[in-house]
Amino acid sequence: MQTEADYYALFEAYQRGELAAGARADLEARLSADPRLHQRYTEFEELTGTLRAYGERRRTRQTINALHTAMLAAEEAPADMEEKQAEGLSYSVNPRLSISRTERRLREFWSGHRATMGVAASVAVLAVFCTLLGLDLWRATTAAPASGLRELRGEVARITRRTDALTRKVNNVTGTIESVAPVRVNKYSGTGFALTADGYLVTSAHVIKGADSLLVESRDHRRYHAETVYADRKHDLAILRIKDRNFKPFTKLPYTFKAGQADLGERVYTLGYPREDVVYGEGALSARSGYDGDTAFYQVSIPLNPGNSGGPLLDGQGNLIGVVSSRQDDVLGAAFATKSSYLVRLVDSLKNKQPVQPYHLPRANQLAGAGRPQQLKRLQDFVFVVKVYE
Amino acid sequence: MDSTTALAADAQLIRAIQGGDERALSQLYRLHWPMVSHFVLQNSGTEDDARDVYQEGVMVFYEKVREGSLELSCQIKTYLYAVCRRLWLKRLTTKSRLHGVRLLDDDDYGPYLNTGAEDDLHEAEERDRRFATMSEALTHLGEPCRSLLEGFYLLDKSMQDLTAEHGYTNADTAKTQKYKCLTRLKKLFFASYKEA
Repeated sequence: MQTEADYYALFEAYQRGELAAGARADLEARLSADPRLHQRYTEFEELTGTLRAYGERRRTRQTINALHTAMLAAEEAPADMEEKQAEGLSYSVNPRLSISRTERRLREFWSGHRATMGVAASVAVLAVFCTLLGLDLWRATTAAPASGLRELRGEVARITRRTDALTRKVNNVTGTIESVAPVRVNKYSGTGFALTADGYLVTSAHVIKGADSLLVESRDHRRYHAETVYADRKHDLAILRIKDRNFKPFTKLPYTFKAGQADLGERVYTLGYPREDVVYGEGALSARSGYDGDTAFYQVSIPLNPGNSGGPLLDGQGNLIGVVSSRQDDVLGAAFATKSSYLVRLVDSLKNKQPVQPYHLPRANQLAGAGRPQQLKRLQDFVFVVKVYE
Repeated sequence: MDSTTALAADAQLIRAIQGGDERALSQLYRLHWPMVSHFVLQNSGTEDDARDVYQEGVMVFYEKVREGSLELSCQIKTYLYAVCRRLWLKRLTTKSRLHGVRLLDDDDYGPYLNTGAEDDLHEAEERDRRFATMSEALTHLGEPCRSLLEGFYLLDKSMQDLTAEHGYTNADTAKTQKYKCLTRLKKLFFASYKEA
């Protein structure tokens, strides 16, 4: 009885051709006759074949590994040679970029992930900008009027346009269609008052904001074109100059400008044009700082309306102590006026700038001691409607 | 280089490799490494990945050439590119959870689908599996059988050397031992190879 190992010995001898001719023929006959033996032989062949191939594979792998290391070494070697050559030539031919290990890693990382990083970065940037813009927009829509500060310039145009539309409708209905020439209506209006006798006026900066042209109208309906000389948004002050040729200088101004601060509790009054006619308002100086603690402003307890902006604020002696600016909607009876000291300082600074006409601020106060109605009579000629066209 | 001269050069190279010229293999290896390395690096692989993939690809090519069963319908460059591309794609899909892996291809390496690389790769995979099973069977075989068989079949040592190495009294005992080991290996190998 032959064991499997014995058969293997036989097979191996057969494969190597070491068998004698008789034994060989004998085995071949048995292989073709006996299928079990034949299968055993194929298995043997497969096994040894696989083993040999496996050995071959391992050798190949080693060879290729060696090739790789040799290649890497060869890549570095020419660099050295080139350097040596360069030394000989004493200047470097085609200098080779030598890259450090970390830098190569970084480059690999970059080339592998640059698409992802690009997308991530752009998303981040986009997100940041969206957030910022969104926040800004949100704040603008919700918080802007929430300051509660209302600038008191009258929005005339809106009202007038509505009235116009009504009139047109009525005309249509009654059938008496008149061709009305389109009248250019001023968009905003405010109040202004004379700064000097020769045509300088003061009003609030927000009144003339975005103005194309300005028209100044006195109580006796005389109109003058005016131009902006200077606007100070921060203190809400603007200086205008009447530019009409036929403008005759005013008579002497009856009031003076107070350079210092007014006292708390002082009785104060203003004249202004919140509507067609001049309107008088009276109250007291209730605080020496304005909205949000702004020291450039007084708080006064005068009921004020849109259109009052830019009006003069005077004390009982007829000293001009402020320029009406705004009111706080959510607080009862709180209006704000720019302190006259800022106006005086502004005029002083403008004097240095070689104005067209020099500023001659009034020196003498003609209102002191007079009764209020007398004061107003003299004052009202120097208070104007400022009409703003856009 | 136009394609006919390229093909002629390729044929020459293949003949040299088939004849066992190691310098030819080295030349081939150096020639196409930049292409594959660039491809793998561009598709989120590292230098090491590139080396593995390239060696695998060259192995497939080399074994086919040695067997003499390579039927090349394109340039070696294209063939290698196709093989390595396929290999890297496979690795990527197993590595990443994303199913749709898209590769950035270099257009100048041409059509890679009709290179016959797919079939060769299947063949190579089958062979890999067989070798893996064999390696496992050899590990399970234990000493001294393993070193005996490895010495004889894998490292091509002579029976005399092995007799001395393992301390057998003569070559015949070593041979008997070898055949016994072979029968055990057969059981281990076919058991796991057939079931897999």
